[in-house]
Amino acid sequence: MVKFIAKRLVQMAFLFFLFLSLVFFLLQAQPGDITAQFLNPQIPAEVRAQILGRLGLDGSIWSQWWNYVTNFFTGNLGVSFSQFPKPVIEVITERIPRTLFLFTFATLFAYVLGFTLGKRLAWKRGGLGEHGVTVGGVLLYTIFYPWFAILVILFFASTLGWFPVNGFLTVEVWRGAPFTGNQVFTQMLFSLGISAVILAVGLLVSRRVSERSTARMIRRSTYALALIAMAMFWLLRPEMRPYAGNLVRHAILPVLTLTLVAFAGTMLLTRSSMLETLKEDYILTARAKGVPEKDIRDRHAARNALLPVVTSFILGLAFIIGGGVVTETVFGWPGMGALLLTATVIEDVPLATGALGFIGVLALMAHLLVDILYVVLDPRIRVQTGS
Amino acid sequence: MVIKDSERPDLLEPPLEELAGVEVREGELPESLWKVRWKLAWTGFKKNWKLFAENKIGLFGLFLILVFAAMAIAHPILRSVGPWDDDRIYDPVIGYDAVVSDFEIVPTEADVVDPVTQMDAPTAQLWCFGVLPGEICSIPRAPAPPGPGHVLGTDPLGRDIASQLTFSTRAAFFLGTIAAVVTVVVATTVGSMAAFYGGWLDNFLMRLADLVLLLPLIPILIVISGLFEVTMPLLGILIGVLSGFGGTAIVLKSQALSVKVKPFIDAARVSGGSNMHLILKHVIPNVLPLSFLYMMFTVTEAVSLEATLSFFGLINADMTWGIMLSTAQTQGYLRSGFEFWWLLIPAGLAVSLLAAGFFFVGRAMDEVINPRLRSQ
Amino acid sequence: MTDTRMGTAEGILGDTNSTAETPILEVNDLVMNYETKAGMVSAVEGVSFTVPRGRSLGLVGESGCGKTSIALTLMQLTANNARVLGGEVILDGENLLELSAEEMRKRRWNDLSMVFQGAMNSWNPVYTVGEQIREAMDIHWNPKPTSVEARAKTEELFNLVGINPEMIDRYPHEFSGGMKQRAVIAMALACDPKLIIADEPTTALDVIVQEQILEELRKIQHELGMSIIYISHDIAVIAEITDLLGVMYAGKIVEMGTTSEVFARPRHPYTWLILSSTPSITGPRRVLAPLEGEPPNLLDPPSGCRFHPRCPFATEQCVVEEPPLEEIYEGHAIACWNYEKVPATLAKGER
Repeated sequence: MVKFIAKRLVQMAFLFFLFLSLVFFLLQAQPGDITAQFLNPQIPAEVRAQILGRLGLDGSIWSQWWNYVTNFFTGNLGVSFSQFPKPVIEVITERIPRTLFLFTFATLFAYVLGFTLGKRLAWKRGGLGEHGVTVGGVLLYTIFYPWFAILVILFFASTLGWFPVNGFLTVEVWRGAPFTGNQVFTQMLFSLGISAVILAVGLLVSRRVSERSTARMIRRSTYALALIAMAMFWLLRPEMRPYAGNLVRHAILPVLTLTLVAFAGTMLLTRSSMLETLKEDYILTARAKGVPEKDIRDRHAARNALLPVVTSFILGLAFIIGGGVVTETVFGWPGMGALLLTATVIEDVPLATGALGFIGVLALMAHLLVDILYVVLDPRIRVQTGS
Repeated sequence: MVIKDSERPDLLEPPLEELAGVEVREGELPESLWKVRWKLAWTGFKKNWKLFAENKIGLFGLFLILVFAAMAIAHPILRSVGPWDDDRIYDPVIGYDAVVSDFEIVPTEADVVDPVTQMDAPTAQLWCFGVLPGEICSIPRAPAPPGPGHVLGTDPLGRDIASQLTFSTRAAFFLGTIAAVVTVVVATTVGSMAAFYGGWLDNFLMRLADLVLLLPLIPILIVISGLFEVTMPLLGILIGVLSGFGGTAIVLKSQALSVKVKPFIDAARVSGGSNMHLILKHVIPNVLPLSFLYMMFTVTEAVSLEATLSFFGLINADMTWGIMLSTAQTQGYLRSGFEFWWLLIPAGLAVSLLAAGFFFVGRAMDEVINPRLRSQ
Repeated sequence: MTDTRMGTAEGILGDTNSTAETPILEVNDLVMNYETKAGMVSAVEGVSFTVPRGRSLGLVGESGCGKTSIALTLMQLTANNARVLGGEVILDGENLLELSAEEMRKRRWNDLSMVFQGAMNSWNPVYTVGEQIREAMDIHWNPKPTSVEARAKTEELFNLVGINPEMIDRYPHEFSGGMKQRAVIAMALACDPKLIIADEPTTALDVIVQEQILEELRKIQHELGMSIIYISHDIAVIAEITDLLGVMYAGKIVEMGTTSEVFARPRHPYTWLILSSTPSITGPRRVLAPLEGEPPNLLDPPSGCRFHPRCPFATEQCVVEEPPLEEIYEGHAIACWNYEKVPATLAKGER
């Protein structure tokens, strides 16, 4: 297993390298050079050469390319044009926790909702419910997303007033707060991360244990521990509570909108995957063994139907990240996606490409996690990876 | 273990030749070759249509597409010989019409409940000097709600919404077509080459496809549109290339692989066919139905992507649905609520419905091409 | 010769087993159809047979003759469009058709288990073989087995079918085809059922493995005194391991008797033709006589005797009236008007 992860990391690094190179050459393909907008065209040639030298733009294209890529890997993304002299990496790191927060929760909810609905839909075939939910799901999937987001805001925030209209925090609430929004986000994500690790470890251990009752006990205590870990943040930092509450209140609409649009793909795929799985002989065997219906659905069918769903989830990740960019922009959520757009519009090239690179990193990391998940789930692959 | 096919009479059908009424006798063909091919193709098409039509959703999707096609065709007609022939008013980009509406005057800005029908006194002074609260003032306005002369009202710049809507339909179809065709060409080429030439080329292309698959399109397109001037044709090509290199290429490669191992390929090779010839003559026709299917999904994606990018003001085009929404948004008419609904609903609905239409058709076609998905 | 109790289970083979024991399974006049868009497909039409305790019965016939449908009906695992229109299935005194779904679920595997065709796919790929066998025990054993007990039983079963007990914790994809088949048999025995149904237990296996499996099955039947129903289209396989043999055609049993008797003296034209089309290594050389025609369309089966369109001995009566399954000779029942015309030696074909 460790070998597998290491191998995958290397592959990811290579893919990222490819990606960065493509971005770099894309930049170069622009008409004129990068500094065209930012330098007064009337400055004398020597001064211009000097500036180009300082910015590292005077070497051959290959040396520039090499510099660019290696710099990225060491965290040197250049300096932002628009927020000069702030380094790009600083601007981006400030934004990451907010994007991660949105992305993680939207992904989790979309996936769980899509899978559960798809599983149940495939089980109870026919009927108005199936048709309605399928059509509804597809409509949500194809709806014009920015428009949908605006509708949601206008309806729930402007008209009904249940949620704030935009932004990720209410300034009045946060005035004079002893910590930044990012700190609170990071804490929340941290506890989420810990509970995820607990869940993973606990469930893996319980699979190894053969005694049924012990395994169940381990599983139950794992769930409890995970919940406690998530609440740990709530318990250990009482002073953060109202601020966290405010953040969550702002987060509800964006996360909800992104989830609604993303779940349909998973739901439809789960449904067709389940339908395929239900035709398999081992389902009939399970029924012949007298396995209760619910166990057939969950332990036999869904568990196998899960596999292609997880694979296609990789595609879904790209969709959610892209959707995240739009979500952040429309909801005024100041994350990396919104940064990308504003940087592009004001033509701050280092910032825009830095943000794009980071989004690439996010995509690759998520891909890696899903790959690992797949290996854990499918024993047939495990043998091949030598674990 | 369920009933075998031999016990399912509804599955046993006479062969296509019999259905088409083509007699196959030993030795010679009774009719000329092209006629036979045509008959077989037509009967095959009718059979597939029957299967397609069983799926209500597919029919609904087709209906949506036809409605939009009608809109696209209607626009130039309405604009040349129909009621929209006045360029000054109805041109979707540069038209202008100041529709005069009645406003009820209220004392101050805070009293304005419905900005569509009410205006505060200080602002109204500019047009109707000396007007008092409670009186009516007629002011030319933009955007104007739907009314005589403008079925869907006008936008913040006084342009007719319905004209914009139908004009943008053509842009959408245009973009969709380009994207779809480019996707298919790229994916088929990449897939076939990977399948037939194998080796390092296959490896490289598949790694590239993996990369393209997992990178989110929107951020990439955003940055590209920031660096370059993106027009509609260019956007179509970009979308086509980016999606063609991805998942579609992988699927088409496995399709090409399955064709490659068929005996007739060996036969063709033995009689001297080069790889390129094989690809063109045998793989492409076999792969075409599947490609056509993916074209549907590409159009869905292209329509949505373009609208999103236009909404952010990144595309250089005359008028699209995304631009319509962008205008409304940036001028602040979508801030407070649904008062200016005619700026919001038609354009957004158009994008969603056209995308949905192609998606539905694609799914229905999927069930025809992959019989395993059928509800039986 | 003919028993007055015609058409009932007791009438057929009533005295093959001279013990006072009741048969483990009694099927009386089972009628089952499939409802399709094109109409009702008559899959099982008035089938009756008994399985004496500790004996094995084979059901043989072409694809689509209804033997698998019978098996599925016994287990109550038929497709959604199956309709049981009449008859009884009495397992150890209890009519299975009258049970509720939940009651039947409890009986499945516990009283009546099945080995499906194509054992390779009977295994869920994401759980180990041991886990899947354990699952059956967890559901039916009362009280639930402990880890130790379940393990011990599984090892015992594996030893019985000839698999190394180390494989218990392996995944199905690590087993060979023959091992998978054997493991399926082991799983079928996990709850000590009263009756096992084996559907094509050796199809899709190569000949050597086939022999091994048949040997295992013989051993199991002998050592455990299991009652087994075998289903196959391969009469040669069936003949090796069954005590009783029933030949099916188009949803009906056309001949039933002890295996040796039916094999040696086939009386129904269909059986006679089948055996004539099977070469024998040991018998005299002869040209094989093929069976002409195709199985009938069960949507609209032939009138009278369903075999009459393909029967070389058919008479007018055969077209009009359906022959009942009657015990003609001792322990040998036939459904044919013209059984006397069937020759004593197998048919020869024409060159």
